[in-house]
Amino acid sequence: MIDVNPQDYDIVLKIKDENDIAVSRQMVKSFAQKHNFSLADVTKITTTVSELARNIYRYAKEGYIYVRKKETGADKAVSIEILACDRGPGIENVELAVVGGYTTVERSLGLGLSGIRRLMDSFNIKSEVGKGTVVAVEKRRRGF
Amino acid sequence: MKTKVVPTIKLYDYLIAPIQIELDDATVEKLQMQLLNEINEKNIRGVVLDVSMVDVIDSYISFVLSETAGMAKAMGCHTVICGIQPQVALTLAQMGVKLKDIFTASSLEDAMDILNRLD
Repeated sequence: MIDVNPQDYDIVLKIKDENDIAVSRQMVKSFAQKHNFSLADVTKITTTVSELARNIYRYAKEGYIYVRKKETGADKAVSIEILACDRGPGIENVELAVVGGYTTVERSLGLGLSGIRRLMDSFNIKSEVGKGTVVAVEKRRRGF
Repeated sequence: MKTKVVPTIKLYDYLIAPIQIELDDATVEKLQMQLLNEINEKNIRGVVLDVSMVDVIDSYISFVLSETAGMAKAMGCHTVICGIQPQVALTLAQMGVKLKDIFTASSLEDAMDILNRLD
């Protein structure tokens, strides 16, 4: 789907079993804490990764999550960028998938992607049926 | 197989479950089975889930907790969740997650009051 150079990222997580969801959650939580994100934002970032990792595990069986700290602009505004990539079945109707309450499986609220979109500052998704899905999100660090 | 993932305290007809472990998918599913078994075996009429130590609740965990409460309700048992941390509440509300079939309380005392009032 897209070319990712793992060396550009601070954390690379391979998701292939259920336990990797919890592991990725913990890794990203300490990464966000280390970079002085507020408690609320650490929770939002951690929850986002939990949702992304579960989506990979559930729908694509395996994939990767890449995380890095970014500094942009003259004031070097800090943000965390998260990229979730898989070569799974892809999403047929992306617009529907990012609307709250839509799900294709049982035992799901259908609030994963729509929730992430609300929790993060930027949200991008690219998906092709039969090829895979890439979700890119970013959260800026706030002063409080 | 009966595996206990969370220690519970039986108090009168109530069951108190302080959740002091990280809730991952497998754990929350085991917790569901454990609670339903205990409700059945100990004739529990109210369950209190204390999540004050839990720092991440995502959409699937909320779903399973609500589902458990729904199942407990079918068995004649009310479920109260207490001690949701502010940043967890913020995250859940922003995601649009609603806890169905479940009562919420700020503290354990509050949760016990709710259960007492329901009887």
